[in-house]
Amino acid sequence: MINRRFEDAGIHPGLAYFLLVILFLGLSIYLFEKTEFAQYFYLLFAIIILGNLSETRRTEFLKICFGDEKLKEIRLLENITCAVPFLIFLVYKQCFISATLLAILTIILALVNFRTSLNYTMWTPFSKRPFEFTVGFRNTFYLFFIAYALAAIAVSVNNFNLGVFSMLFVFAITLSFYSNPEKEYFVWIHNVNATKFLLSKISTAVLFSAVLAMPVAILLGIFFYQKIGIILLFFCTGWAFLTCVLVGKYAAYPDEMNLIQGIFLALSLWFPPLLILLIPFLFIKSKNRLRYLLK
Amino acid sequence: MIEIKNLSKNFGSHEVLKDINIQFDNGKVYGIVGENGAGKTTLFKCISDLEDYDGMIISNPNPIKNHLGLLLTEPFFFQKITGKEYIQLLINARNIHIDDIDARNIFDLPLNQYASTYSTGMKKKLALTAILLQANDYFILDEPFNGVDIKSNIIITELIHKLKDLGKTVIISSHIFSKLSDTCDEIHLLSQGSFVRSVEKSDFSSLESEMKELTIGTKIDRLGLT
Repeated sequence: MINRRFEDAGIHPGLAYFLLVILFLGLSIYLFEKTEFAQYFYLLFAIIILGNLSETRRTEFLKICFGDEKLKEIRLLENITCAVPFLIFLVYKQCFISATLLAILTIILALVNFRTSLNYTMWTPFSKRPFEFTVGFRNTFYLFFIAYALAAIAVSVNNFNLGVFSMLFVFAITLSFYSNPEKEYFVWIHNVNATKFLLSKISTAVLFSAVLAMPVAILLGIFFYQKIGIILLFFCTGWAFLTCVLVGKYAAYPDEMNLIQGIFLALSLWFPPLLILLIPFLFIKSKNRLRYLLK
Repeated sequence: MIEIKNLSKNFGSHEVLKDINIQFDNGKVYGIVGENGAGKTTLFKCISDLEDYDGMIISNPNPIKNHLGLLLTEPFFFQKITGKEYIQLLINARNIHIDDIDARNIFDLPLNQYASTYSTGMKKKLALTAILLQANDYFILDEPFNGVDIKSNIIITELIHKLKDLGKTVIISSHIFSKLSDTCDEIHLLSQGSFVRSVEKSDFSSLESEMKELTIGTKIDRLGLT
């Protein structure tokens, strides 16, 4: 299935895996260079991935297909495959305690399963303008607690970089709300043209992401008030990335974002001023892509 | 009013709709019947502008899609969106403001629950409620009675009568003939991409008999039930 997704995106699976390895190594090196808490984030990312593999419905499906005994083997194999890159890098960085903890969790999580979705309806502040933040917040709420906790730690240990990281982490979570194209019906229902549709989506994204990122920004602004300019700059950069991902999604609509767009986004991460060109370019492309649904 | 002129639709070399010509007037209810694969859903998607097509569709008011409530056979719902949020999404899309959505919940749906947990019938009722609250001029209802309980069937029938009284144009597809005969002014039989028969209310019973004859034929006898 993963190979098929790569092929659908127009990239040879072999090349895709190679690029993924490079990306993984690049991000890992970057993370460990930037913060002393890298191993904890690393552990957290690995656990989130392993946790998703333990989802009940997924496990039940595998159980029906392969039976009890085979299921354990498959789950172990899956978890080990996902955890090995993280384990190798942790060992390389001599973070032996984190590596041991991850190895133990890899095995335990292969033998349990749990629901990643809860049965009760979670309140969100975004119900009046569904759907991206309404659904996205419910799927990722726990990550916001982590981001806010990081901001509090940043203040308590007087680490401004960690504080900025926690704010950017909030924006990074909101980017994921725009990762999948919705069904055409939910674009078609709008009685505005493509430009108005996109501007409305952007204004919602800007407003709601501010609601989520503002607590961190205010905290940083109070405790690192001499760096308020940098905080504002990163805040606006977060907005710019969110806008870019949003218009990027509709520039490929109704397909998923393609490799070229992904490369441009990665380049903007490396050199954010590129966004000044990329956002208008993707906005115009989005307008053209949506014209068939919005009159 | 919706006027369709020489509408054709191809998927590759397969011609799904062939030179369709029909007019749907305000204040009337139209039934479209036909076997699975006859082209009903494709026709609805063409009228809605969700599919491109050859030919012409004229409507007043225009563009049709901004005044059309489309009930799909199997409405899609996001995971983790409540019934109320789904309605909010659809009315926001038409810039309509409703203060108390709960007061408009005529099917007594659990609007604060995730819509994805609803039964098939509840999902259909939610989707129908949402398009009704959009204040549309046209309605396309693809299988509105499917999976819906008896009480709600009665409500939907009355709703269609109300839409007709309000001068709306309603197009319904259903496999339940009695429901169509209760609600429609005209029924059009679609077969292999063309309208092969159109009848007014006075001839519904003869159309039903014809369809029975055509559909059943000697099939039951072939079972040899004793």
